[in-house]
Amino acid sequence: MRDSEVLYSVELPSPPSSLQLFYNDGGENGDQLLYGTTDGKIGLVQLGRGSAAHRWVLENSSGSVGTRQGGITCMDHHDITGDGVRDLLVGRDDGTIEVFAYEDGDESEPTLRFSTACNESITGIQGAVVGNAGYDEILASTYTGWVFGVTSEPMDRHMTSESGVVHISQESKQKIQKLRLEIDELQQRVLKERDQYQAATQSAFPGISAVPFFSVNDKISLNRSDASYLLSVEVQTAVDNVLLQSDVPIDLLDVEKNSAVVSYSTCDPESGNFLLATYRCQANTTRLEVRIRTIEGQYGTLQAYITPRLQPKCCQVRQYRIKPLSLHSRIHSFDPNRPYNTLTLKGQFTLPEMHAWVVFCLPELPERTPSGERAEFTFVSTFLDTQLQCIYGPGEAVFRSDNISTISILKDVLTKEATRKKVRLDISCEVSEESVVHALHLLHPRLEAQLMLAKQVSLIDALRELGSHETDTSFLSPEYKQILDNADELLAQYRKQPCHLERLYGMITDLFIDKYKFKGVNVKSRVPQLLEILDNYGSLDLQHLINFFQAQ
Amino acid sequence: MRRISEWARLGKYSLANRQQQETKLELSQPIRNCRLVLQLTGNEENSKPPHVEIALATTNDTVIRAVIIFAEGIFEGESHVFHPRENSLTSNIRVPLYPPKDVPVDLHIKTMVGYKGSLHYHVFELTRQLPRFSMYALCTTSVNQPQGFVKFKLNERVARIVMWINSSFLLLEDMQANSNGGLEVSFLSLRSSLPLIIEVSSACDIVEADFPGELEQLGSVLERVEEYHATRQRLSAEMADHSGVIRTLVVRAEDARLMSDMQSMRQWYGELYNLNKDLISGYKIRCNNHQELLSCLKQVNQTIQKAGRLRVGKSKTVVVSACRQAIKSNNINALTKIIRSGTT
Repeated sequence: MRDSEVLYSVELPSPPSSLQLFYNDGGENGDQLLYGTTDGKIGLVQLGRGSAAHRWVLENSSGSVGTRQGGITCMDHHDITGDGVRDLLVGRDDGTIEVFAYEDGDESEPTLRFSTACNESITGIQGAVVGNAGYDEILASTYTGWVFGVTSEPMDRHMTSESGVVHISQESKQKIQKLRLEIDELQQRVLKERDQYQAATQSAFPGISAVPFFSVNDKISLNRSDASYLLSVEVQTAVDNVLLQSDVPIDLLDVEKNSAVVSYSTCDPESGNFLLATYRCQANTTRLEVRIRTIEGQYGTLQAYITPRLQPKCCQVRQYRIKPLSLHSRIHSFDPNRPYNTLTLKGQFTLPEMHAWVVFCLPELPERTPSGERAEFTFVSTFLDTQLQCIYGPGEAVFRSDNISTISILKDVLTKEATRKKVRLDISCEVSEESVVHALHLLHPRLEAQLMLAKQVSLIDALRELGSHETDTSFLSPEYKQILDNADELLAQYRKQPCHLERLYGMITDLFIDKYKFKGVNVKSRVPQLLEILDNYGSLDLQHLINFFQAQ
Repeated sequence: MRRISEWARLGKYSLANRQQQETKLELSQPIRNCRLVLQLTGNEENSKPPHVEIALATTNDTVIRAVIIFAEGIFEGESHVFHPRENSLTSNIRVPLYPPKDVPVDLHIKTMVGYKGSLHYHVFELTRQLPRFSMYALCTTSVNQPQGFVKFKLNERVARIVMWINSSFLLLEDMQANSNGGLEVSFLSLRSSLPLIIEVSSACDIVEADFPGELEQLGSVLERVEEYHATRQRLSAEMADHSGVIRTLVVRAEDARLMSDMQSMRQWYGELYNLNKDLISGYKIRCNNHQELLSCLKQVNQTIQKAGRLRVGKSKTVVVSACRQAIKSNNINALTKIIRSGTT
């Protein structure tokens, strides 16, 4: 940077969360930089004079389907494996520590050697020789304040065992005694403070009971690959329970790592609750992860009431805005070759005002108004792959998207916000008929896949019964045999995507209603016919659906 | 909880969009002298189905933001949450509970108390036991004598029985025995609006019981069971018949194909197709029949269980097995006698 002017920007696949010089010194020419992202990717860029070159990206994936590692919080280089080449040490926000080895220098991605997990997010990591000379250790600090080392020293060096009696060396004995004394002292202090607090709240004078403040480390981020939000909540002490409340309908998806007992409470939409779920945590859980899928167009607030196991009992609320176009994610470039619908807004508004409205509608935007005359942002829908381009400046804003429902949502929300601020807007829409057909083509493979999956899963029970009655299943057609063989996988896939089919139906219905809404025609009465076509989609096909959409 | 799917099915047009809530500044204000008062009462307000009500109130100007009740067996999940709208927060609230069965339940109630607009709340944890018969409300007016009754002898002092009543029912004040050492108290079941009268007095010797309404019902259920059995047998015979015909048709169709007689082959396959349709509709009827049969049998079983519950220990097993015998031998009169007096 020169005079605080940005030289150039580097485009990355996801928001970055951590930086580290390659090999701790920038590599051979001192110009290589490692970055870690919020969704768990690690990549290497080579910074040149005027631009940067991407060398490699280590994707986020792990053994079995569906488990993903958390975002990167810290990195370091140290030779743990003892092979003379420094290894990459990585700490993540879901508590995983990994060691990667560079097989090929800076040419290709490093390979994973070791990994371990603890239950709290890692805040700092460093490799060094600490506990014992001659043995390398990875030192890590966690959110709750633990500092621990993972060592390459064999565990039982200090203990010898003879005829069933375990001898501990003098050093270790002293260490253990000292730690015990420390613990006793701390316990005494806590008891004293607690007694004092009790006395204060029950005294004759109007007692004061202040609510103890505890800090909460929370993060909510959009996961592009499966169009869901991951909410993680972490507290410095053990959590007793967490109550999730939402005033708009959302789906809660399962997270395997979650060991809390979840229970849904019946809610009455009249009282403003569409979701009331309690998570009762096991002992010593300090971290909770929840996956949420929102519905675009339904916007409101998700609240988390977090109650830790502290005395006196208290609870803190965290609020998360669910935006109207919540499933859209930022991308860098815009594909101009698609059929687009355009929404143009003209009126007496300034750039900061319009920027505030756009921030109201879309995630992953900075709160501060961008400098300059105009702002330009591009988004992709993580559910459907349609794009949205926003270009706005004082007095005029243009939004282009190949999904007519996106434009419809934007129009509704922006008009409402402008009316609230009493700003008059001149709205004009250009609707492209082709875009509807284009969107249906995009939806078609997903719809087909889900219907196929649903059909196959519904056959599984029947096929299994046949299989158990007959010893030889060779009379089954190859399709059925395949279903029987992969039954477990199909079931797992089906369960991971609850309501996926319902969602697709919802989007197609929205598309239908929106297309005619822009013409001023209300077609809600024809929705049941549309649903019938969708239910029989297996035997009918895309053209049939397109014809229905275009019929007058 | 898959109700969400109904909303998702219609996308954003099924419900009105909600406005965002403003985020407020967080202030951890001290709360002075706040205590929480908890009361359980049975309630038969007309606007809601009969329920047990939990009333919570704070003693100062703080408001109740939310209440989480953890209990086993009375909710769909293991918890029930009461979370009113931001703009309708008050210092006292009433939460209705609908226990489905008569079992004592431990309620762990966590109440979040604080000031309006705050992001930090006090959590008050209270545990109360919901008595077993909380869905029976005390009657002060006189009620019709119910037709069914059970009379039995207890080797207990009246005082202990009174204590049992106090702990098993939800009463605002404890009951007391009256002057001549007896007690008569009437309850109204909130679920079925049927009266329950408990009279405690001195001796009676044997266990007598009579529930004419129930026994009549049992009789009619057993008749229906007979019918369903008969239908089932008939349908199975039909099915066996059909499979015979199918076998012949398949053979004939194969023969026709091998002889390249396409005309006949098509004819045979056509008949097969019709027969298949008949089979499927026969199957559907059989399914229905089976379901009805199952529910009748369940009712019979429940009645036997209820008869068994009137007695304890050896007499209970005697009654249950005698009932089963009577049903096997289709002897309705014996059944009635067993339920009434416990002997054949």
